[in-house]
Amino acid sequence: MNKAITFIIATLLSAPAWSDHGNEAADHHAKPEMSHADMGHDHSDEHDHASHETESDAPHASHDHSGANHSDMGHDAHGMTMANASITHTDDIMTALTNGGEPVVVDVLGVVCDFCATAMNKIFGKRDEVAALYVDLDKKTLSLVINEGASLSDKQIEKLAKKAGYRIAAIRRDSEAMGG
Amino acid sequence: MTSRAVTTGFALIAMFLCVSASARPVSYTGGWTVIETSNRASTAGLLHYTAAYNLSIGARYEWQRGSDTRLKAIQPTFLAKRWFGKDYQGNLYLTGGFGKANRGVDGSSISETASFAGVMADWETRSLFVSYEGRQLNLGKFGNQTMHAARLGWAPYEGDTGALHTWLMLEVDHRKHFDKTTSITPLLRFFKGPALLEIGYNLSDSSPLFNFTYRF
Repeated sequence: MNKAITFIIATLLSAPAWSDHGNEAADHHAKPEMSHADMGHDHSDEHDHASHETESDAPHASHDHSGANHSDMGHDAHGMTMANASITHTDDIMTALTNGGEPVVVDVLGVVCDFCATAMNKIFGKRDEVAALYVDLDKKTLSLVINEGASLSDKQIEKLAKKAGYRIAAIRRDSEAMGG
Repeated sequence: MTSRAVTTGFALIAMFLCVSASARPVSYTGGWTVIETSNRASTAGLLHYTAAYNLSIGARYEWQRGSDTRLKAIQPTFLAKRWFGKDYQGNLYLTGGFGKANRGVDGSSISETASFAGVMADWETRSLFVSYEGRQLNLGKFGNQTMHAARLGWAPYEGDTGALHTWLMLEVDHRKHFDKTTSITPLLRFFKGPALLEIGYNLSDSSPLFNFTYRF
């Protein structure tokens, strides 16, 4: 038993703690970084970019999308395609959207139980930028509505998901998040 | 079974089953979890704080009813690996502990330094669950204990977020220091929001199983 534990510890400490689909992870690190447009983000003029400000009052256009390692996010190219699920319509989400919030849908890997949902709710629910959220176990998505005038970059979302213990596969915003 | 076979089997399970533990011993960053377990061997409580997505630190109290041994220990747990998929999650945890054990002998209480090391692995979808847990407990002159437990689970329906989730499970455990070394426990798991409750009955030792986990 002691030998086994020593062996396992030594093996695991030499390997990364997170993986999705084993070797595929290595594959997508080798691919050129996907452009923001490749993610299907739709920063159309349907909302007022100028009104979206980060915590440091930076305009929406200055969001650090490049900082999110999109090649690490398990996009279609890695066979991780999730149906492009739209935002889940709960009362809170509909109210937040009516109040001018920005819809965001995050495909999350490994969300299989209510503990997963609780973790996401706790971590994202603490953020002032988040007006409403819902973890949908059927769609494997996190639906967010970002307060009007606030923003949450892809990199920030990725970091928050990691704090909750999960990894994101894709992020959709605006009309695409609404199913458009 | 020889010790080499046990060692090899243990390593293979951990390496290739690549799969988590029933109560998710590491939560979200900044989260607290209270875990109560009661089975044919012991009644135990663990309160832990998750300092990072891959590390929790907790305080454990365990009462082994048969020998009236009481263990108090600090228990860190490390999420060594998590596998993600669209429809599944797998986890491998390493845990350990260090503390004191007390046992009543001839009317007086004797204290011993205690330590343990363990591994937990699980793999689950919304309707299937497999897990393995092993622990080596060293209690000084009170002796050593080795435990292995494996589970299979099936959910008859896929509950929505926040709804009641129900699982049917079967646990097989092996404890070398028991008269009946191997036992079987069918159990029901109920899962709702931050709370998890398991109720079962050990068919080999005719004893109840009652586990409860709550995250906050």
